[in-house]
Amino acid sequence: MEISTGSSMSEKKIPEDRETVIEIEHLCKRFGENVVLNDFNLKVYRNENVVVLGKSGAGKSVLIKCVIGLLKPDSGTIRVLGKNVPELDHEDLDKIRTKIGFLFQGNALYDSMTVRENLEFSLRRQWIKLPQTEVDALVKEALGNVSLPHTADMMPAELSGGMLKRIALARTLILKPEIILYDEPTTGLDPVTAREIDNLIIALQKKYHTASIIISHDMNCVKNTADRVVLLLDGKCYAEGTYRELEEAADENIKQFFE
Amino acid sequence: MTNQGENNIKLGLFTLAGLVVLIFSFYMIGKNHNLFGGDFEVKVRFSNLNGLIAGNNVLYSGIQAGTVKNVELLNDTAIEVTLSIDPKVSAFIHQDAIATIGTEGLMGNKIINIQPGTGKGLVINKGDYLKTRKAVNTDAMLQTLDKTNNNIALISEELKNTVTRINQSKIFEVLNDQELGSGLRSSLANMHQATADARDMAANLDLMVKGIRGGKGAAGLLLTDTAFAGNLNNAMQNVRMVSDNANQATIRLNTLINSVNQDLSSKNGSMYVLLKDSVVAGQLRSTMKNIQDGTAGFNQNMEALKHNFLLRGYFKNLEKQKNKKQ
Amino acid sequence: MARIPEFIKETGQVTRFTGRFFSTGLKPRFEVKELLAQCYFIGYQSLPLIGLTGFIMGLVLTMQLRPSLVSYGVESELPVMVGIAIVREIGPVITALIFAGKIGSSIGAELGSMKVTEQIDAMEVSGTNPFKYLVATRVLAATLMLPILTILSDAISLFGAYVGVNIRSVTSVRLFFTQVFDSLSFGDLAPAVIKTFFFGFAVGIVGCYKGYNSSKGTRGVGTSANTAVVLASVLIFIIDLLAVQLTDVLGLN
Repeated sequence: MEISTGSSMSEKKIPEDRETVIEIEHLCKRFGENVVLNDFNLKVYRNENVVVLGKSGAGKSVLIKCVIGLLKPDSGTIRVLGKNVPELDHEDLDKIRTKIGFLFQGNALYDSMTVRENLEFSLRRQWIKLPQTEVDALVKEALGNVSLPHTADMMPAELSGGMLKRIALARTLILKPEIILYDEPTTGLDPVTAREIDNLIIALQKKYHTASIIISHDMNCVKNTADRVVLLLDGKCYAEGTYRELEEAADENIKQFFE
Repeated sequence: MTNQGENNIKLGLFTLAGLVVLIFSFYMIGKNHNLFGGDFEVKVRFSNLNGLIAGNNVLYSGIQAGTVKNVELLNDTAIEVTLSIDPKVSAFIHQDAIATIGTEGLMGNKIINIQPGTGKGLVINKGDYLKTRKAVNTDAMLQTLDKTNNNIALISEELKNTVTRINQSKIFEVLNDQELGSGLRSSLANMHQATADARDMAANLDLMVKGIRGGKGAAGLLLTDTAFAGNLNNAMQNVRMVSDNANQATIRLNTLINSVNQDLSSKNGSMYVLLKDSVVAGQLRSTMKNIQDGTAGFNQNMEALKHNFLLRGYFKNLEKQKNKKQ
Repeated sequence: MARIPEFIKETGQVTRFTGRFFSTGLKPRFEVKELLAQCYFIGYQSLPLIGLTGFIMGLVLTMQLRPSLVSYGVESELPVMVGIAIVREIGPVITALIFAGKIGSSIGAELGSMKVTEQIDAMEVSGTNPFKYLVATRVLAATLMLPILTILSDAISLFGAYVGVNIRSVTSVRLFFTQVFDSLSFGDLAPAVIKTFFFGFAVGIVGCYKGYNSSKGTRGVGTSANTAVVLASVLIFIIDLLAVQLTDVLGLN
């Protein structure tokens, strides 16, 4: 019921010429007896921030890990830039991954390396021989994007949580991805820093015209960043719409998130 | 990782150090065991290897000369061992050299000892067979030693007894006797005198014999007279004849006795019949009894005669004469 | 009893992990730089510890063996005994055990914490095969470095033994090493060196497996490090047993 309304709403809002970058259909994923995703459907278009809202353990992280191929779904298709991720072999998966950025919940910075090495790592991994000057320029640009240019030679352990989050974002951005997946970007940060991160997300989206899936249960973050909000409940897309649409919805299940 | 270059140098040094030690060790071992040595091969056949295996050392006069290259069982008594000998040493090994299996130390590895022979043979060639000597097996050696020990124990026991007996015996007293020495000395002097006399005597005898040979003296005459010698010869022949006859007589006597003997043992002989026939014996016995009876009757007759009036006077006279004599 | 199927399952997983090392870990596009960095860390930086333990081991072994040899009247065989013991068995095994303690736990904890903080996922996402980058390099480095460490440890141990011999009697370095090397054969050294490759491989693969499959949380990391050391040590002894039987069959003993 709600799903159909949701899709009709988005169709209304989004023009026909917009390119679909992620198309998830009938996605099912279970861990043993625990059904996490059950026939989940979602489309993400270019130049759009989609926020997936849901309770802890509702399968939000599982969803984006399936998108990037870290987890293999039990059934269903995930088309990313026209390719079905679960069916890709390792090499093609690596190729498609260069176009996807992933911001981990815990940043996942390599703590044995300096910030510069963290940033260079992703670049170097692509097996493209870039001249050192170009690498340096890219690192500088990425750090400039997150306004932390002076941290290049510091170790992750020396930086604060907000800075780490921004460095992690810079690392995600250095490959100029077309899609960015954010796994709870503001969790564990103070409201001020969280706001900075929100603004950064918006700014980067504007700058690089990326499509994003943002996973969050921080309503401020949702409010700031979302072009579209998807409510994940019981493994399904329970509701879909703009922040304002969902905020005004009468459904109890939706309401509990907005209180 | 800013000092990656320096780290790589350290890593390189570390790896090189390890490799150098490894190569050095292999070289040291190889040097001792002569693995990189030449391919000069000699063969030896043993009946028992006592645990010798390929890779054991070969010593020539105690110098490292090579290694055991191969061990091959030919049949139940022969095992062929191929030795790889250092060419520098092989030039000194002659064909009569002897190979034995020994042990490094008391319980070390087995080795082959090549002992130089007389050194007169030709220098060995590739593939030659060396002579062998039965190896000294430690076990066998120990067994023998055990037996030897037992024997020695017995002997020493016996020896102890003997010594004790000697200690207690008269000989020892004699030996200990102080006077005996002087007595012995005088006896020796006497003996010395006696031998001197004997020598004189021998000299005289010699003279005499020479004299006899020259026909001097009665004995000399006798010995040199040829006619007398002929007579003596005849006499001797007679004596021999007599003794021959006596001999024959004895032989005959002997045969006679033998025949009697045979007669006695065989049943046909008359003597045997006489002696052994029971019928004859019975008859003889009855004859004897008859004679006894006859003499008893004769006795009675005689008694009757004594009492006969005609003859009583004669018997009375006889009695009287008897009484007179008493 | 319920642990037996679990044990078999885990054995299967380790085997699969090992298979993955050979199928994907040894394919081209080698992480040479990371391999060298790991060799530096695993090999070079372990040398002081291994050298120290090796030296003490050689010294102590010599002093412990002396009374027995004196009572048999073969005190002069002390270098030979110690040399054979160190080169054949004690050097490789003790070095491997120390190595397992230092490297196995460090790999287990490092990969475990990387797993827990999603660094391994992050690597995968950034187009790097973490198996190649993290596992293959560490396993290879451990496999290649342990033999070198063992050889150096043997050498240091022998030096320790030389010092030990000289505590109660006097022998020259030259005589000592001549005696040691005289008693050694290729059949002593070669299997001892070859088996250390397997020791190193076991330490590397077990550490990586435990870290790579670490469960969430700090406790999971601790457990990974701990079980990595325990399992690696047990494997070292099992491999040692297999090695001695194999050399026996091959007639190298």
